Amino acid sequence: MAEEAAPPPDITPSKTAAARERRPDGVSPALRVTPGAAAGLWIFTQLIPSPLYVATSDRVGGGVRWQVTPLLYSFGVAAKPVRAFVIEPVARHSGAVELYVSPEWACCAPGDGTSWIARGGARLYLPLVGRGEALTGSLGGSYYRASDGSGASVEMGVHMLFSMLGLTVTVSPRLTGREVIGALHIRYF
Amino acid sequence: MVHARLFLPLVFALSGCGFIGRVLQRSFAVPPEPARIERKIRDPRRADARLSVLWIGHATALVQLDDVFVLTDPVFTRNVGQLSPRLVEPGLDAADLPPLAAVVVSHMHFDHLSFDSLSMIEDKTPIVLLPPGAKASVPRYAFEIRELDRWESYDAGGVKVTAVPVRHVGGRWGIDQAWNIRAFTGYVFQYHGLSVYFGGDTAFDRERFEATRAFFPDLSLAILPICPTEPRDFMRRTHMDSLEALDAFSLLGARRMMPMHYDTFINSDDRPGDCPRLLREHMRERGFSDDQVAILAIGEQRVLIAK
Repeated sequence: MAEEAAPPPDITPSKTAAARERRPDGVSPALRVTPGAAAGLWIFTQLIPSPLYVATSDRVGGGVRWQVTPLLYSFGVAAKPVRAFVIEPVARHSGAVELYVSPEWACCAPGDGTSWIARGGARLYLPLVGRGEALTGSLGGSYYRASDGSGASVEMGVHMLFSMLGLTVTVSPRLTGREVIGALHIRYF
Repeated sequence: MVHARLFLPLVFALSGCGFIGRVLQRSFAVPPEPARIERKIRDPRRADARLSVLWIGHATALVQLDDVFVLTDPVFTRNVGQLSPRLVEPGLDAADLPPLAAVVVSHMHFDHLSFDSLSMIEDKTPIVLLPPGAKASVPRYAFEIRELDRWESYDAGGVKVTAVPVRHVGGRWGIDQAWNIRAFTGYVFQYHGLSVYFGGDTAFDRERFEATRAFFPDLSLAILPICPTEPRDFMRRTHMDSLEALDAFSLLGARRMMPMHYDTFINSDDRPGDCPRLLREHMRERGFSDDQVAILAIGEQRVLIAK
């Protein structure tokens, strides 16, 4: 065996480092996001809307959509497959089925006023590249209620950047004024 | 990408996260191709070694203890977090890894827990060890995934891996630090009388280093981070600088130290070369020799104890 290297000098931390030293406290982290701050941040991120491009056969407009996920089952994660409301991106992009609710506001189409609808639906996420971190595909269906009726929609999309950013297209053949909706799908948690 | 170069730094600057904006701006300025490594090692098995280390880059190191191998924080991808590009190619291709006894992951940050990299080594290891709470943030793989709490050990085939306390943060996405409050750790690997400390990411913490020394009084090697350091007021709570790393080396009482976690990705205001330069200066001031502190180049393999 080769000769061992000499042990380091005595345990005499430099004055500089010793001055920086803070009294350790068990296994606590160096920084901590408090539960209150996390809750506030989560609520804030749920309020970030996804912008919409709303099209009918003869006009186009805009709008925004919010989404909340009350329940998600991830078949891609190694542990804790069932999540509620607070959804880590990996639980979604590694492969999952989610139930979502989604208020939606459309506006700006020439000749049309603004209008709200409410959606509830299910969406399947399938990882495509990099366990879904780089690219995830989604398929979904939803049921909507509008002031002038209700009906069903289908949806498909692609998502990138840990599924935080996506493009989805929702088709609702019987929904007057917004048969096709393109969405820049923004999700954090 | 042009829009991202202009837009993302501006967004972070306006939101008060100027540091993140600066890091992104520097990341976008990095050449698209990482620097090549001349004469890259293809077979890292060293018949002449009892203890050797190959620095693959950042916190990724292949440790050989006699006839077994342990891999730390595997990252082989071209970037981390999809935004921070690699400056130097990995010092060993994932395909050239030998069969591993275990893989350890110190915490969940993108530069330490890389899903794509774990995919690349899926057939190389029977197990990946994680800190408590991290398993729920990892996709399924073919290998076993096991969490180790502080002082818990995994023992198989004579290789013993023990989780040891360090001072860092859990979580991967920011907000999840609130509940991943234990998801960070260091490790000690033991085999045939050899013992190697891997610090992962850690701030300086005398009590935790001394506690580790009390459990492992005869460490053959301490692999310690020396970067990132700037902006120091922000970094010192979670990362050691090179001077503190030397102090940690002394407190751990290891026979040798290998610095890591520098000059591979852009994750701070540090310039490439700053951290090892400061380490060399502090080594001179403190009287550490090159035998005691083995500063490896990315892709370099060093036999620390020969047969």
